[in-house]
Amino acid sequence: MASIEPWLIENGNIKGMSKEITRHGRTAHNMSSSSLRKKSDMSLVSKVPIGLVRRVLANLQEVILGTKLSILFPAIPWAIIAQFYGFGRSWIFALSLLGLTPLAERVSFLTEQIAYYTGPTVGGLLNATCGNATELIIAILALTQHKVDVVKYSLLGSILSNLLLVLGTSLFCGGLVTKEQTFDRKQADVNSILLLLALLCHMLPLMFRYAGGSEALTAKPTLELSRVSSIVMLGVYFAYLVFQLWTHRKLFEAHGEEDDDDDLVVEEAPVIGFWSGFAWLVGMTLVIALLSEYVVGTIEDASSSWGLSVSFISIIVLPIVGNAAEHAGAIIFAFKNKLDISLGVALGSATQISLFAVPSCVITSWIIGEKMDLDFNLLETGSFALSIIVTAFTLQDGTSHYMKGLVLLLCYIVIGACFFVYQTPLNQGNAINLGVKASTEGSFRA
Amino acid sequence: MATTEPWLMENGNLKGMSKETRHGRTVHNMSSSSLRKKSDMTLVSKVPCGIVRKVLANLQEVILGTKLSVLFPAIPLAVVAQSYGFGKPWIFALSLLGLTPLAERVSFLTEQIAHYTGPTVGGLLNATCGNATELIIAILALIQHKVDVVKYSLLGSILSNLLLVLGTSLFCGGIANLNKEQKFDRKQADVNSLLLLMGLLCHMLPLMFRYVGKLDAATIEKQTLELSRVCSVVMLIAYFAYLVFQLWTHREFFEAQEEDEDDDVTTEKAPVIGFWSGFSWLLLMTAVIALLSEYVVGTIEEASESWGISVSFISIILLPIVGNAAEHAGAIIFAFKNKLDISLGVALGSATQIAMFVVPLSVITAWIIGINMDLNFNLLETGSLALSILVTAFTLQDGTSHYMKGFVLFLCYIIIGACFFVSQTPLNQANDVNLRVESSTGAIFKA
Repeated sequence: MASIEPWLIENGNIKGMSKEITRHGRTAHNMSSSSLRKKSDMSLVSKVPIGLVRRVLANLQEVILGTKLSILFPAIPWAIIAQFYGFGRSWIFALSLLGLTPLAERVSFLTEQIAYYTGPTVGGLLNATCGNATELIIAILALTQHKVDVVKYSLLGSILSNLLLVLGTSLFCGGLVTKEQTFDRKQADVNSILLLLALLCHMLPLMFRYAGGSEALTAKPTLELSRVSSIVMLGVYFAYLVFQLWTHRKLFEAHGEEDDDDDLVVEEAPVIGFWSGFAWLVGMTLVIALLSEYVVGTIEDASSSWGLSVSFISIIVLPIVGNAAEHAGAIIFAFKNKLDISLGVALGSATQISLFAVPSCVITSWIIGEKMDLDFNLLETGSFALSIIVTAFTLQDGTSHYMKGLVLLLCYIVIGACFFVYQTPLNQGNAINLGVKASTEGSFRA
Repeated sequence: MATTEPWLMENGNLKGMSKETRHGRTVHNMSSSSLRKKSDMTLVSKVPCGIVRKVLANLQEVILGTKLSVLFPAIPLAVVAQSYGFGKPWIFALSLLGLTPLAERVSFLTEQIAHYTGPTVGGLLNATCGNATELIIAILALIQHKVDVVKYSLLGSILSNLLLVLGTSLFCGGIANLNKEQKFDRKQADVNSLLLLMGLLCHMLPLMFRYVGKLDAATIEKQTLELSRVCSVVMLIAYFAYLVFQLWTHREFFEAQEEDEDDDVTTEKAPVIGFWSGFSWLLLMTAVIALLSEYVVGTIEEASESWGISVSFISIILLPIVGNAAEHAGAIIFAFKNKLDISLGVALGSATQIAMFVVPLSVITAWIIGINMDLNFNLLETGSLALSILVTAFTLQDGTSHYMKGFVLFLCYIIIGACFFVSQTPLNQANDVNLRVESSTGAIFKA
C-alpha cells in the first residue's frame, strides 16, 4: 500500500532526492516512458469521503488516466465489441492495434512501479523481460496459430523499427535543436556487438539454403542449427544482463539527473502499492494477450482488404504502433539533448528482441512442436544486416548531428518501400506455414 | 572582364588572402588547381591591339592553363578520325584522351564562375558539375539504350574514387611523410561513409529481389524497377540534405584547412577570366565533352572486341581512370603535401556525388525517357561495391593514415580490376532489357 501521499510529490522536482535510495531500476527504458506521464490531479478524488473507495479511485485514476495515451483506451472495449458483433475484420484489427498502444505504455509504467519495491536488480530484470511484452505476446500467439511467418516478420520489424526509425528520428530531431550532440559510445558498442552476433545466427541458417541441396535436405539441419543458436543467444543475453545490471552498471546509468531537475518527471516513491501494481500488471497482460489474439487472427483479412501484403503489415505497421510510446519518449529526450537515454531505449529494445524474444520463440515453438527456424529469408536478413552495419557505423564515434538521423530514417523508408513493393505469397517462403494460403490469393487479387 | 593582371599574382603565394575571398573553394576545386600552371603572359603582352590581346590572354589562360593541355590535340584528331572513318578503336582511344583535359578545364571554369557567384552557389555548381563527364557519358549511353554501360561506368567511377584515388593518395602521402603522422578530420569522412552505406542499401535490396526466387521473372522485373525508382527519389532527397548540411548548417566540417602552409598551394586571389567568358567557355567545353562522349559510347563495343577485353572491364576500369585523371593527380599532390583533408574531400566527395546524385538521376532520366534502368547492378558489381565501402569506411574511421592503409586500398582495386578482367561475361544475359549489345556478345565470345 502506498503510504506517501502521491499528490504531495511535486511534478518533476527532485528536491532532496538522493541517488542511492530512489533510483530503483531507473533504466533508460523506464525514464523514456516517464516523459509521457502526466501528474494525476487528485483534487477530485480527495473529495470522496470513504477512505477505501478514495484509495481505489486514486489507484484507478493513476493507472488508467496517468498517461497522455489514455485517449486510446476506449479502443479496447470497442475492439471487443467489434469481435462479438462481427464488425469488419479489418476494423477489429485496427481497433486492437490502437488499443495495444496505451497498454504497452502502462505495462512499462507498472513494471517501473513494482521495481521500487523489488530493488534495482530485480527491477532491471523485470524490465528486461517485460519491456517488450507486446512483441513477445504477439509472437507467441502467432506461433500457437501456426503463423510462423508473422512471428518472424513482426520480430524483425521491431528490430528494424528500433534501430532505424526510433533511433533515426531521435538523432534527427535532436540534431535540429543542437548542432552536435555527444553520447557515451560504450553502451552503443556493446549493443552493436550483440546485434552482430544475432546477425551471424540468422545468416548461417539462411546460407544453408543457398549453399545447395534441395529444400528437403537442408530443412532439418537448418532447424537444428537454429535451435542450438537460440540457446547460445539466450546464454549471451543472460551474460549481457549480468554485465548491465551487476558488473558494469555505471556504463548504463542514465546521466543528467543532477543538471536538469526541472524537466524530468521523476517520482520519488511509487504511486501505487506492490500488490496493486502486480494485479494491474497481470490484468493488463491478459488484455494485451486478448487484443494480440485479435490482431494475429485478423491480420490476413486486414491485409487483403487494405491491399497491403501481410509482410508489410507485420514488418512496418505492427512495430510502429506497438512501439509508439517508446518512440515518442526517445524523441523527447533527444530534444532535451539527453541522447544516452534515447540510445538506451532504442538499442536496448533492439538487443532485447533479437537476443531474447526471437530465441524464446524458437524454443517455445520447439516445445509445442512447431517448426520455426532462424532463417528469416534473404530480403529480411539483408535488410537486417545493412541496418546493423549502418547503425553501428553511425554510433561508433560518440557524436551525432541531424544528417545521421536523416540517413537512418531514409534507410527505414527505403526498406519500407521494399516490403511495400514486394508482394510475395508467404507460403512459398516457408513450406510449414499452413494458415496463410487464403491470404496469398487475397494479396494477389488486391 | 578580368581587371587584375593575372601575371602579377605570384604562383602559390597566399600573402594577405582572407577567408572571405575563398569563394566556393571546395576541396574539389583546390585539388584541380594543383595542375594549373602560371600563364606566361609575356608573349601575349607584346601584341599591340588591346582587344586582340585580351582575347589571346583569355585563350591562353583557358586552353594552355594546365599541364594536361598536351592532350588537347586529341580532340580534333578524334573528330577527324570519326569523319574520315578511321578504325573505331582509334576513335575510342582518341576520344578518351581528349576527355581528360576537358574534365579538368570544366572544373577550372566552374571555380572561376564561383568567384562571381559566391560560395554557396559555387559549392552547388561544383556539386552538380563536378562529375560532369560521368553524368554526360551516362546519359548518352542511356539514350543509346546501353543500360549496362551506364551501370558499369558509374560503378567504376565510385570504385575508382574510393579505392584507386584514395589508395594512391594515402600511399603516396604516407611514403612522403614517413616521419610525420598524417591526420585528417574524420567527421567529413563519416558523413560520406554513411551516405555511401545508404546507397549500398538501395543497391542491395533490388539485387536481393532476384535471388529470393519466389516469383516469375516479369513480376520481379517490375518490382525491381518500382523499388529502384522509389529508392532513387530517396537518394536524391538524401543528397540534397547533404548539400544543405555541407554548404549551410555544418560548413565548418568541410572547410579546407589552408592557414598553415602558404608557400605550396596554388591559389588565385581573383578570377582570371570574366564571368560571361567563363560561362561561354563552360558551355562550349560541355558541348565538346558531349561530342567525345558520344564517340566513346558509340565505339565501345568495337574497341572492346578489337582489344580483346570485355565491355564491362572497359566501362568499370578504363573509362573512370581516364575521366578522373585530373582529380586523381590533384589528390596525390595534396597528399604529398600532407593535406589529407583535401584529398579525402576530392575522393570521397566524388564518390558520394556519383553514388547519391548521378546514379539516381540516371534512373529517373531513364524513367522519363521510357527506358528500364534499375538499381540492380548484379551480384559481382554490388559485392565489390559493398566491400569497397566497408574497407574505406573502416580505413578512415580513426582519423589517421599511413602508407599501409593506402596500399591496401590500392591492392583491393587491383583485385577488383583483375576480377572484371577475367570475367568475360556476355552482358545481355545479366540484364534482360539490354538489347543493343547482343551483337557484341557474339563478338566477345568469338574474340
